[in-house]
Order: sequence, then structure tokens, then C-alpha cells
Amino acid sequence: MKYILLLFTSLVLSWAFVTPPNAEEILKKVDLNMVTKTKIITSQMVVSGRRSTRTIVSKSYAEGNGKSFTEYLAPDREKGTKMLKLEDRLWIYSPSSDRIVQLSGHMLRQSVMGSDLSYEDMMEDRTLAEIYDAKVVGEEMLKDRKVWVLELNAIVNDVSYAKRKMWVDQTRFVPLKEELYAKSGQLLKQVTLSEVTQIGNRWYPKKMNFKDMLMSGNGTDFIVDEIQFDPKIPAHFFTKAALKK
Amino acid sequence: MKLALQLAYRNLVGAGLRTWLNVGVLTFAFLMIIFLNGILDGWNHQAKTDTIAWEYGNGHLLNEKYDPYDPFSIQDGHGILSEENKENLSPILLQQGSIYPEGRMVSILLKGIEVNQKTLKIPTTNFKENASAIPAIIGVNMATSTNLKIGDQVLLRWRDKNGMFDAKNIIIVDVFKTNVPTVDHGQVWIPITHLWEMTGLENHATYFVANEKFKPKAIKQWNYVSQKELLHDLDEIISMKKSSSSILYLLLLAIALLAVFDTQVLSIFRRQKEIGTYVALGMTRSQVVGLFTIEGTMYSLFATVIGCIIGVPLFWYLSKTGMAFPTSSQDMGIAMADRIYPVYGISLILGTVALVVISATIVSFLPARKIAKLNPVEALKGKIQ
Amino acid sequence: MIRFLWKGILRDRSRSFLPIIIISIGVALTVLLSAYMQGAMTDMVDQNARFETGHMKVMTKAFAANQSQLPNDLALLEVSDLLQQLEKDFPMVDWVKRIRFGGLIDVPDQEGNTRGQGPAIGMAFDLLNPQSEEVKRLQIEKSIVSGHLPKTVKEALVGHDFAEKLNLKIGEEITYFGTTMNGSMTFQNFKISGTIRFGAAALDRGAMVVDIQAAQKMLDMQDGAGELLGFLKTGVYHHEQAAKISQAFNDKYKNDPDEFAPEMYPLKAQNNLADLLDYADMMAGILVFIFVLAMSVVLWNTGLLGGLRRYKEFGIRLALGESKPHIYWMLILEAVIIGFIGSIFGTIIGLAGAYYMQIYGIDISDYTKNSTMLMPSVIRAKITPIIFFIGFIPGVLAMVLGTMLSGIGIYKRETARLFNELI
Repeated sequence: MKYILLLFTSLVLSWAFVTPPNAEEILKKVDLNMVTKTKIITSQMVVSGRRSTRTIVSKSYAEGNGKSFTEYLAPDREKGTKMLKLEDRLWIYSPSSDRIVQLSGHMLRQSVMGSDLSYEDMMEDRTLAEIYDAKVVGEEMLKDRKVWVLELNAIVNDVSYAKRKMWVDQTRFVPLKEELYAKSGQLLKQVTLSEVTQIGNRWYPKKMNFKDMLMSGNGTDFIVDEIQFDPKIPAHFFTKAALKK
Repeated sequence: MKLALQLAYRNLVGAGLRTWLNVGVLTFAFLMIIFLNGILDGWNHQAKTDTIAWEYGNGHLLNEKYDPYDPFSIQDGHGILSEENKENLSPILLQQGSIYPEGRMVSILLKGIEVNQKTLKIPTTNFKENASAIPAIIGVNMATSTNLKIGDQVLLRWRDKNGMFDAKNIIIVDVFKTNVPTVDHGQVWIPITHLWEMTGLENHATYFVANEKFKPKAIKQWNYVSQKELLHDLDEIISMKKSSSSILYLLLLAIALLAVFDTQVLSIFRRQKEIGTYVALGMTRSQVVGLFTIEGTMYSLFATVIGCIIGVPLFWYLSKTGMAFPTSSQDMGIAMADRIYPVYGISLILGTVALVVISATIVSFLPARKIAKLNPVEALKGKIQ
Repeated sequence: MIRFLWKGILRDRSRSFLPIIIISIGVALTVLLSAYMQGAMTDMVDQNARFETGHMKVMTKAFAANQSQLPNDLALLEVSDLLQQLEKDFPMVDWVKRIRFGGLIDVPDQEGNTRGQGPAIGMAFDLLNPQSEEVKRLQIEKSIVSGHLPKTVKEALVGHDFAEKLNLKIGEEITYFGTTMNGSMTFQNFKISGTIRFGAAALDRGAMVVDIQAAQKMLDMQDGAGELLGFLKTGVYHHEQAAKISQAFNDKYKNDPDEFAPEMYPLKAQNNLADLLDYADMMAGILVFIFVLAMSVVLWNTGLLGGLRRYKEFGIRLALGESKPHIYWMLILEAVIIGFIGSIFGTIIGLAGAYYMQIYGIDISDYTKNSTMLMPSVIRAKITPIIFFIGFIPGVLAMVLGTMLSGIGIYKRETARLFNELI
């Protein structure tokens, strides 16, 4: 008991006295929460248009960042549409036409299902640490949570956003807000993460809002209904043959 | 024949006012046909010269991966042309971007052009460097649709060669007025050096515009499209317009011929005694028919002469000063100018002369045939038959 | 008095018949040419009307503001009700639905994988409805290079150059890939029913023409349309009428704050066509003026000749004791009558011709190499109010003027001399 108390105190103390931790470590801890070898997510995407709001339900299977397979479940219009991403290639299968169409180049820059996300936004398959150099630039309170403010500057050329700013929960190591900037420093997009819940030993934000800051509108909500970390996903999911099944 | 000509000439000149009225009408029609044709040709010519001046130059040298009709090819359709091949060529680099006037997104085509280029009429000399924003010039149409004026700034978002987003304000330093919508609609022109720097595509070009001194030669990875090929679509429209305007000439000609016909009918009716006299003096009927036909034809010859006397200085003057038209639309896909300089081709003039003379002959001959049926004795008496 | 003149006109054929014929022909030509000029000068505008603007166009306010981006998400909905209302309120207008859309055309290989792709410039017209005038209006059939019009919603016409580039055959299947009005992904297979040539390279590459119902379904625009185009049933654009109709329609929605409320735009208010239209009107005006002038000279000439050749008759009449002014006035009165008769005949003939040319037009596509949709190959006349009286200017005025001029001779010459011309 004494030991436990000692341990606890030392933990608390060490916590309190930590100088801003190294940004890389923060990112690593974030990755521990967010990144898995494989995952299966059932989610809703709420797209608010000028006239109506649509909710698109999909189930995604992902392996690392490189491979993903998504099947749309609702609404009826989208049901049965499947999308396969293997590295930098993207195929879409539509049941109504029974065709597999490959998207490339310019098309990848289009918006996904009318949302504020582009296909390309979903195609990034490197971890943040691989493409950005991070540093802690401050500490703030955000929605009653103490957060580290991280600034990430791209270390490679081929990323969409030259700079990001990330607000990471100091205790849970979950990003709560992210801002994406152009090379010139112009704010382009904002991602707001909320409804952080504990799933197993991870904290995970179940709701994300993506917003294009240059345009008016409410942005796109991405809500996780169900998530499995590190499930076993058979390899055949990530083949073109799976699209037609 | 000579006699017939002399007689016809005397008769016509002798008839005085009547002759000159007919000649006047014919001259008028003759001049009108040439005039209208000249305007239409001038208009077409203008459309062509404007398109050449603003867009086509003496031809385009396109990167082989760039397809002007496929906007998706802009992303990869550019390259560097080796220095020795650059002579007489002016580079244009295309990139896609978006501007955000009043909070809405407008997709645009960014066109980088050399500031000191002289091949195209785009007023690149008006690029003024600005500390805070990228200098840009746009066409009137683009300015209207985006509600931008000279001095306005608007946020531009683009991607560099690696796809990284970048955004910066552009400042509109000039708004140009052009008759060529394809250099105006949805386009923003900026100095190519800026675009190179913005995208990291130093020395890249999507296509080059050739000047008159350019000699086409095979260059690897680049395709030369001559001015003529570029003008193909426009030529088709022009040939279409020409055939539709031919109806106009036919109708104009018809009036003039109506005048000749009218006169012929009347003069044959009135000059029966004269006809009788000719026959009595020993002319064959066909000779008399010939005489009257020549008389009719001579109207057109007189008209040609007078037409030349009036027309040459008039048309020369018009083709030099042009004819002003009120501000015209440029939304039609082909160029239209405010001022049209009529173009008079030699074939047009000779063709019109031939047309007028031949048709006048035919029209004169038709009523004159009646003479052949006249009874000379009755004719001599002047009895109406 | 008039009766006496009538008798003279009817009995002396040389005095009446020929001048009347000449005047009729001249007036008919004037009328026809004027109508033709009005039509020919606006053919580019008509072309715009057929393809893009209609004589009037109904869109939502939001759609209108972003028109160039083909914002189908802002399209009109519940179009059937709107159409019904429009047809009831404006029976003189033929209303049609149009949808324009962008996207990709994807051509599959044998396994159904992508073999080739190209940007699609989609156009949906009311093709299958047998009552629709659209096929005729757009001259689609003439522009088809091979194959035929879509006969079902599952068929489409594609740009000829695109088909050639990918070696597509009629009957082969292609997939349209794009976004619905809600932003969803949409895929639709179409069988190629034919290839079409527009005469503009971009369209020849990427055009895709489908039936409106197919587009509505594939773009989730049930009972929706990007635009409703109205065409005056006379076939000819009249700005005042179109403006009035638009005004009447828009007044109903004046206080509707909804950005998706419909709004009507007359042709002239669209695509910067006002300038072009004014230009065409002016050009037509100038040409008609020139023509009337030329015709006037001809008919003046006719009047003059008619007077000149009757000097001997005047001589006799003077000898019989008629006063010079009386003869002169009789002569002019006669000219007025002849001018009117000729002008009326001529106007009727000319109008008939112009009417024919307005309704059917003269098809010149045979004289041009490639008939395409974007180039007007049917020349149409346009009957405007001015056409009804324009012929009277040369027909009556010029004729009378000519007669007046030649009649002056009556005063100038001695009775004896005039009489002498009898011999």
C-alpha cells in the first residue's frame, strides 16, 4: 500500500513537473491511441449541403495506412458501393452499373460524396511523424481540457498541407482540434474532434468535424458508431475481387 | 457587233435620265453586294486576326501530355523545352486553382505568361509587382462574373508541383478587354516567373506560342500545332456564315435586275417603231434581239464603271478607317470586334462584276426575245401587239 | 373619279399590269429580305436560345448565381407543378426541362476494368417524349455522325471524337461516373446509340447526350431540372414579350426569401446577350434600310418610266381640255392606287414567304461540309411588326415620288409638244 502510494505520488509529481514533453513523444502517444495495425470502423458521415443534410453509413476495413476497403451501407442510393484503396490507387465499385472504375490524378482531388473531404485526404498513408516535424508551441485550455499545442511542419514535399497545428489532450493524448495550413500560412481546413471515449485501453474521438475554412457551410461530421482495433482481416478484402462480392 | 455596241451606247446615252436611273440602281446593288461582303469578310477576318493576336499566335507548341480539351491533362502536361529550341517561342504554363471572391469558390485556370512577351496581345506590360499579393490580370468577362475590379485582392488557392496546397492573395492590376473569350472566361493571368516560383515548376511550360519567325521542326515530347489547324473550328463557322449570307446577295441582285428587266420590257414596248425600222433597214431579228440585249448588258457595264469610280475610294477609305459598331458581346465563343475593317478581295470584286454583268445580260435577253415574234410591218406602225 | 381611274387601271394593262407586277415583286422582295435579315442577324442569338438560354429560362436564384459551375445541387425541384403552372399562365410558350452535368465517361475493357476515361460534358434533353420539340429544335438528328437517337433511357449519344479516340462502337456500353445533386457518387451504364458532332472540339470530345429522365434518375433529381427553358411558340424571340412574361412570373416570387425559389430570365438578360442582340437589331436595321432604299430607287424608276411613256396620252388629254393640275393629280392618284395594290400583293406574297422561312427555314446544311449542332444550318426569317408595312415605303412612296417627278414634265412641256409625241 505504501509503495503504491509512493508510486502514485511520484507519478503525480513527475506528471506535474514534466516540462513540455518532446513533441515526438506526444505524437507517438497520439499514435498509440489512434493508429492500429488493422481496424474495422462502422461510421456515419453527415454532409450538410445547402439544401439538405445527408448521412452516409459505411463500414471500413483498414490495414495500416496503405490498404483500405470500404463498403457503404446506407442510404439506399449508396448501399453496396465499395471503395478499395491500395497505396496510391483507388477503385470504386457500383452495384447498379456493376462496374469497377479506377480514379486517378485529377479525380482524386474531388470531394468524397459531397463532403469537405477529398479522396486524396483519405489517401494519405504515412503517419504524421513520417511527414511532419513537430514541436510543442504552447499549452492551452480547450473545451475544459488541458492541451498541448503542437506545430507540425512538413519535412517531405508531397503532402497536401505544409503546416498543421494540433491541439492534443494532455492526459488522454487525443487530438481535439487540428488546423491545416497552406504553404503561405493561410488556414485552409479545420478538423474538430470530440466525444472522446475510452475503448479498451485507448482513447478515441468518436466524432470529427471537417471544415473547409475558405467556404461557407458547416462542414462534414464523421461519427464513429463502432470500432474494432487490430482485428484479423483476411487478405482477400484488399483485392479487386472483393469489390464485386 | 461593233455596230450593235455603238448603237446600244448611243441609245443609252441618248435616253438620258432613264438610263442613269437604271445604272444608278445597278451601281447601288453592285456596291452594296461588295460592301456587305466586305463587311462580313472583314468581320470574319477580324475574328481570325483577333484570335491569332490574343491566343494562337503563329501556332502552339504543346507538351505531348497536354490535351487542350482535357482539363485533367493540365496537371501533368508540362515540361521543360531545351534552350536551343526556345527561339521565337513564348511559354505559357497552365495550372488549376481556385479563387474565393465573396466566400464562394470559383475554379479557375491560372495562366503564367512572360511579362515581356510580345507575341500575344495580353497586356503583360501592365503587371506591376506588389509586395503583398501576386499581380494578376483578367479579362472583362472574368471581372464581371467574379465581381472583381482593378486594385481588388482575392485569395487564390493552388497546389505546387507536389500537390501541396498554397494560398495567397492576388491583386488585379489590369482588366483587359478582348474579343476572344477563350483567353478571358475563368482565367487568371499572372507572370510566369511567379507561377514557377509558386509551383516549383521552374522553366516549365504547358505550351509555347510561336511568333511569325518560328520555323516548325520536330521536337521530342512536344507537338507543334500550326495556326491553320488551330483556326479550323473558326473557319468552319465562317464558311457556314458565308453560305447563309449568300441569300442576301441574291436578293440584292434581284432588285437590281428587276430594274433592268422593267426598263427592258418598257423600252421594247415603247420602241416598237424603232424595232420595225431596224428590221426594215435590213437587220435580222436576232441582230435586233442582240442589240437590245447589249443595251441591257451595257447598263451593267456602266454600273461597273461608275461603281468603280465611287467604290474604289469609298471602300479604300472604309478598309483603312474601319466601321465602328457599338460594344458587342464576347460571350458567343467567337470573336467580335467593336470596329470592323472591311476586307475586299479581288476575287470578290471580279466575281461580283461577273455576276452582275451576266445576270443583267440574261435579264435583258428575256424580254428582248419578244422582238423576234414581232411583225415588222405592225411594229413599224407602232401598233401595240 | 376613283371609279374612272379604276377603269383605266383595269383596262389599260400596260398602265397597270406591269407596274403592279413590278411593285409586287419588289415589295415581296423587300418584305422577305427584311424578315430574312431580322432572322439571319439573330441566328447566333437563336443558337444560344436553343442551346443555353431559351427565350426565357427559369432557374433557382442560387443556381443562377453559380450557373457556370453547373450547380445541380441548387437545381429546381417539383418541376411538374411548376411546369403546369407555367403552361397555364403562359400558354404561348413551350416549356422544356434541361439538365447539364459534368463527370467522367469511363469505358470498360472485357473484364469490366477501366480501359479509357474522359471528362464528360453531359446534356439531358427531353428526347423520348413524342410531344417534345427538342430533337427538332436542337437539330440533333442532323448532327449525328453514326447511329441514331437514344430510344430508351439506357442509351446515350457520345461525342464523335471521343468515340473515335477510344474506338467505341455503337451498341457498346460506357459508364457515366459523377455526382448526384446531393453529392452522392453515381454510376450509370449507357449503351452508345450513336455519335454526334457539335463543331466545337471540347464537345466533340466529351459530349454525352441522354434523355432527361435518365439524367433525373441518375443524378437523383426526381422531378428536378437544372433549368426550364421557355420557347415562344412563334419560334422567334421577341424581347418585349419575353420580358413581360418574365416580369409577370417573377412578381409572384418577389417576396420569397427562399434562395431556391424559381426566377425567370429573358434571353436578353442572359450570357451578355443584350449587346449582341442590340448589335444584331442594329445591323438588321441598317441592312433593311439599305434594301428599302435600293428598292425605292427601282420603284421610283418604275413610276418615272410609267409617267414618261404616257406623255402622248397627256397631250391628248390636254388637247381635250383637261387642266394640267388635274392630269397631274389624276396621275398621282393613280400611282397611289397602283402602289397600294402592288404593295398589298407584294406584302402578302412576301409575308407568306417569310412565314414559311420562319416556320421551316431554309436548310443550308447540304451546302456545308459538316453539319453540326452548334452551327445554325437552317436559316429562318423573323416576322416583326415592321415587316407588315415596310414594303409600302418603296411600294407606295417611291412609286408616287417617281410619278410626281415624271409628271412635272406635264407642266414643263407645251401642250402642243405633248400632243406631238402622239405621232
